[in-house]
Amino acid sequence: MRQTRVLLADDHTLIRAGLRLVVEQRPEFAVVGEAADGRQAVALAQSLKPDVVVMDIGMPGLNGIEACLQIRESLPDTQVVMLSMHSDEGYVLRALKAGARAYLLKDSAEADLASAIRAASEGKSFFSPAVGKVLLEDYMRTLQRTGAEDSYELLSPREREILQLVAEGQSSKEIASLLNLSVYTVETHRAHVMQKLNLRGVPELILYAVRKGIIS
Amino acid sequence: MKTSSEEFRITASPEPDWPSHRLRWVLLGAFLGLLGLILISGAAASRTLKRMQQQEQLARRDVADRTRNLSGLYLSIEVYNQAIQRYAACPEGKPDPVVRQQVDRLTADIGSQFDRYPPGRQPEEAAFLQAILDQFVRHRDLYASILVLSPQALHGREQSLINDRIVSMRSQFLESSGQLQAWNNQQFRRTDETLLAQFGRLQSSLTQSLSIALSAGLLLVLASMAYIVRLERQTRGRYRELAQSRHELERLSSRLVDVQEAERRSISRELHDEVGQSLGALLVDLGSLSTNLPEDRIRIKERLDNMKSVAELAVGAVRDIALLLRPSMLDDLGLVAALEWQGREVSRRSEMEVSVESENVSEVLPDEYKICVYRLVQEALNNAVRHARARNAKVRVAQNQNRIAVEIGDDGRGFQPERARGLGIMGMEERVKRLGGTLTVDSAPGRGTAIKADLPLPASAGNPV
Repeated sequence: MRQTRVLLADDHTLIRAGLRLVVEQRPEFAVVGEAADGRQAVALAQSLKPDVVVMDIGMPGLNGIEACLQIRESLPDTQVVMLSMHSDEGYVLRALKAGARAYLLKDSAEADLASAIRAASEGKSFFSPAVGKVLLEDYMRTLQRTGAEDSYELLSPREREILQLVAEGQSSKEIASLLNLSVYTVETHRAHVMQKLNLRGVPELILYAVRKGIIS
Repeated sequence: MKTSSEEFRITASPEPDWPSHRLRWVLLGAFLGLLGLILISGAAASRTLKRMQQQEQLARRDVADRTRNLSGLYLSIEVYNQAIQRYAACPEGKPDPVVRQQVDRLTADIGSQFDRYPPGRQPEEAAFLQAILDQFVRHRDLYASILVLSPQALHGREQSLINDRIVSMRSQFLESSGQLQAWNNQQFRRTDETLLAQFGRLQSSLTQSLSIALSAGLLLVLASMAYIVRLERQTRGRYRELAQSRHELERLSSRLVDVQEAERRSISRELHDEVGQSLGALLVDLGSLSTNLPEDRIRIKERLDNMKSVAELAVGAVRDIALLLRPSMLDDLGLVAALEWQGREVSRRSEMEVSVESENVSEVLPDEYKICVYRLVQEALNNAVRHARARNAKVRVAQNQNRIAVEIGDDGRGFQPERARGLGIMGMEERVKRLGGTLTVDSAPGRGTAIKADLPLPASAGNPV
């Protein structure tokens, strides 16, 4: 079985040691390197070409978001799992925009890290359950206080299905073959979803899905 | 922990001394004294002048009285003489009884005129008067002797009588009365001279007091000028001190803001990096320990999970404190993301819903602008929740070429900005002033609150995105 090659990037030695312990407990994962800041993470990723980079969001020099952006630009096959202390959507959205597949809270890193690495390596999204909870709470509260309508109700069943598949990380082609539709039809549905939910780009769509509890 | 090493110096100035009140009273006293002196000498001079005038009038009246009396006397004696002569030269050789009666009346008249002559005579005057009286008595005697002569005895002798006796007596009388008149005039001149001398003395005393008043006035003017100059110098000094201390105060308060931010940032970083990461590492280790424990060690696993939840609480607390001190979003994600986070955070923790809008705001604003806007919004939202009990708040940040404008509005109960200006608003003003901007607080009871800040951006600051 081919092992998933993992690069760990965190400016704290203690955390890196703990993460390494968790990753190496699984025989299907192998830690290929450790970086202590964003710049080093980018350099090591380019030389080692790992499958997954586990990256702390706040690092000195180059922060995790910038490093993620650079890695995703130069290595489209390398996925990034973002580690953060913040469950706020500001961070989540920025991480998604930077191209991260998974977003993990450090509090729960130990429990969810393996699942996150696995999901990311398969090109799927993963979020700490606590993140989804916070996002959902914010969403529901705003809806309640402003008296706005939940735009999710506007979607047709097919559109909801496509929303979930896009959020999970599937491409239009994959969705088309899965649902036995033409790529054009899938693209049209996707555009309707974006329009009805007033979303700009896939990261916002993923955030929306996490918020609604459609994916986790 | 790193503290600011830049030295901030405040020159210790001694407590300024108040200008003395004593000098003011001394000057006032001197002015009043001078005025009093002028008044007193003026009054004295006017009294003296009045007295002199009275004296002169008195002297004139006196001389006129005497002259009138003397000439009356002279006239009476002349008439008397003529009457005698006429009587003596009576052509019929028979004395006229009418003339005789006239002579008698005149004699009584002249006597009474002597008595009426003004009293208070000087010895010399009295002597002249006596001489005239003596002459008149001799006349009278002579005429009495003539009158007793019979017309026959008289006849033929009248011409010699007139020539020898009457004419010489008349000229004697003329001389005596002339002398008295001369003495009278002299007396008047003497009085005049005395008055003149008095007037001279008055003049010199007036000159003297005037010159004293003048020189005292001059001294006073000089003293007042010196006093004013000293006051002006003191005022200038005070003003300079005031301006300097205000300047120093401004520098101090701006330094305080800087130092406070630097301290917060450093404490936040220490908390996050040291405490937070150690706790995080502990969490990871505890978790993996618990996961790898054989299934039968239930009690130990329970203890480990308990420890883990305690550590999780601690991580959460440390994160919250660190974020409160210095939101890491400002550094990681930029101003807008930090404001949005702040808005959600306030919405989560309170009953107030916050919306955040931004327009053209750069992600690479200089740190002092980011922190200034962030703290303004933080303080304003804090006030809206705590004091105004608002239900909704709206934050808007817009940037153009060279300005950044922030507006925080709420629908709370408002207040009177000119009355209740709390520390919070003062702190906002201080931050905005430091960056050369302006802050306006628009609020009234029942109308909500709108806080607007307008900050000029330096040319090198982040360009709008």
